[in-house]
Amino acid sequence: MANKVFVTGMGIMSAIGNSVEETLYSLSNNKSGIEKIRYLETSHKDNFVVGEVKLSNTELIERAGIGNYNRTTLLGYLAVKEALKMASITDMKEARTGFISSTTVAGMCHTELLYKGFFEGKNNQNFIDYHLNGVSTNDIAGLFGISDYVTSISTACSSAANAMMLGARLIKNNILDRVIVGGVDPLSKFTLNGFNTLMILDSEWSRPFDENRKGLNLGEGAAFLVLESEKCVKEKNKNILAQLIGYGNANDAFHQTASSAEGYGALLAMQKAFKVAGITPDKIDYINAHGTGTPNNDASEGIAMQTIFGNHVPKFSSTKAFTGHTLAAAAAVEAVISVLAIQNRMIFPCLNRKEQMKDLTITPVDTLEKNVSLDYVMSNSFGFGGNCSSLIFAKN
Amino acid sequence: MEIYINGMACISHHNTIDENYFFEDIGSVPLSNQLTATEPNYKDHIPANLIRRMSHIVKMGVSTGMMSLKSAGIEKVDAIVTGTGMGCCEDTDKFLRTLLDNDERFLTPTSFIQSTHNTVAGQIALQIKCHGYNFTYVHQNLSFEYALLDAMMLLKEEEASTVLVGAVDEITPSMFELFYRGGHIKKLEELQPIWNSTTKGYLVGEGAGFFNISANITPSTYAKIKGVKCIQGITDSSELENIVNFFLLEIGLKKDQISLVLSGNSGDVVTDNKISEFNKAINQPIAYFKHLCGEYFTSSTFALWLAANIIKRQTVPLAIFPNHEPLSNIQNLLIVNHHEDHQYSLMCVSKC
Repeated sequence: MANKVFVTGMGIMSAIGNSVEETLYSLSNNKSGIEKIRYLETSHKDNFVVGEVKLSNTELIERAGIGNYNRTTLLGYLAVKEALKMASITDMKEARTGFISSTTVAGMCHTELLYKGFFEGKNNQNFIDYHLNGVSTNDIAGLFGISDYVTSISTACSSAANAMMLGARLIKNNILDRVIVGGVDPLSKFTLNGFNTLMILDSEWSRPFDENRKGLNLGEGAAFLVLESEKCVKEKNKNILAQLIGYGNANDAFHQTASSAEGYGALLAMQKAFKVAGITPDKIDYINAHGTGTPNNDASEGIAMQTIFGNHVPKFSSTKAFTGHTLAAAAAVEAVISVLAIQNRMIFPCLNRKEQMKDLTITPVDTLEKNVSLDYVMSNSFGFGGNCSSLIFAKN
Repeated sequence: MEIYINGMACISHHNTIDENYFFEDIGSVPLSNQLTATEPNYKDHIPANLIRRMSHIVKMGVSTGMMSLKSAGIEKVDAIVTGTGMGCCEDTDKFLRTLLDNDERFLTPTSFIQSTHNTVAGQIALQIKCHGYNFTYVHQNLSFEYALLDAMMLLKEEEASTVLVGAVDEITPSMFELFYRGGHIKKLEELQPIWNSTTKGYLVGEGAGFFNISANITPSTYAKIKGVKCIQGITDSSELENIVNFFLLEIGLKKDQISLVLSGNSGDVVTDNKISEFNKAINQPIAYFKHLCGEYFTSSTFALWLAANIIKRQTVPLAIFPNHEPLSNIQNLLIVNHHEDHQYSLMCVSKC
């Protein structure tokens, strides 16, 4: 298991940009992508702000140029395309190549428009062919000619972290030479209303790690990273963006949706990630927290960080006030942001924060920090079903 | 490293929850185009206060997982890996219909909470307090196979010494209508034995299968898993033949060492075309299973459960192997599955 895992490419489509470059610009200029609902057809249009990708379906179809796919496949395709270009990969057959995508609602954005009409006999459009998880994965893999290992994961809001973890394990186990990993989730009425019934949406800008935080803002997007083996990187003399050195997956086993007060699952995931990385917690320079802005998450995650790091909790922030919570894509969106932080020696701030959380002794970074040397960055992602995952990236 | 099935359980159309049952009561002709599950008494496996809130798929998945643990004689595992092709259709349907019928008002969270694909894995973790690795694959017809590959990799990495791995899918009235109107499900008047079908469409099914796997053999061991392979797609039956030959080479078996092939024919004359050609070409005894469990994205769990049982019992039920002399000394079984000619998979199980 000595094989190292390198990040050689990244691609992203989110509320703060349609490329890595645009994302970096927004992050380093405090430019949030959370706005009034522009594209999603919903009767809650004026009730919530969300992080939409600033392109309509028609514009996405035009931009991708692959035909009439739904928003899920289009967003995923564009992010994968950028990642492959950055990694200078064109020939899928020259090495064992995999594709691991993740999503929570897959084609729901399309299904919910046709569902009622279908069962009322008004249309006969077989949306099921676009609805299932796996469909967009197969479509994207097919469009790029990837077939050695193609799979889809769904572990709620930790999905993409698990896609990255699986990809790294497949390289370490010498099953693949390189693998494109990440996630995609478009905004849908289904998720907007779902989170609304749980009463964990903030109708205004979310305030992660603020005493008066009210909930999260939903976002949408896709992000993918190219992971390659040491051998691949050396043979082609690849430009290395970062190294994925640690990962941990654990279950909170506390409640279907809520996190335990002590953040036990989060704690275990971070501990496992340290073990795999072979480093001690004091090495971490920055944590990109899950930090959704819900009362429960930020308290639980904060306590877990205080437990594991003791009196030396590293600098941390949540970037979800920029992008919104992009669900299955979130961990990949934040992996891209973590790698950008390492590359550009910056810590992107926790926006909208005003008041210190009483439950915590720690305070996030709330203004942009420049010229900070980041050798090791941790990124956390947690989800329904108790799924907790943690990743560690190293500068390289 | 050898990997053993030390416990298992299966919910299917037939009474597979009874460990003494092995299809003695059925003929080989399908009776319906929808093979719904025969459910256990859930109270025997799930606390009563939780059952009330659980949907059909969650109850099937969690109870099968618990039955598998019981069959292995253990209460804890190091990791839980699950798969589902379609996820929680009943809860998704309920939430979506309420949302659409009431213009996004009057919604309650329960069905949304339980609509996520990882609900079963999360609920099992909750019930047995398993804080270990927890993963859910949702890759259509390969959801279970990828879960199994991951579970086997965890054992090889020594990240876990026991893993509970399984998959589950449910058929709901809405899903039935969708697939039926889409021409996927066979019309009642066109029912035929699945191995001699001249009509289109499959018999739709549902079910759950869970397995306790480990690198250690125990008194409850059923069989060992020799290999698993996922195939994104094939162009013709000879490509499938080549992949099978290479797979057998990789796991160190010759074709004539395969005692029986369990073929995933679904009864759809069009999409079964390649697998039917393959069945002829492999020239080994062939048995079928989808007339017993129906077609669903994780029907491979039923096939693996059946294969491991055949090996342990050293007998092939007549219902899947009509008009054949009984087999003796059953050593290796090869499962070849597919779903509508997309995504093929191979699994090989052997006698210990």
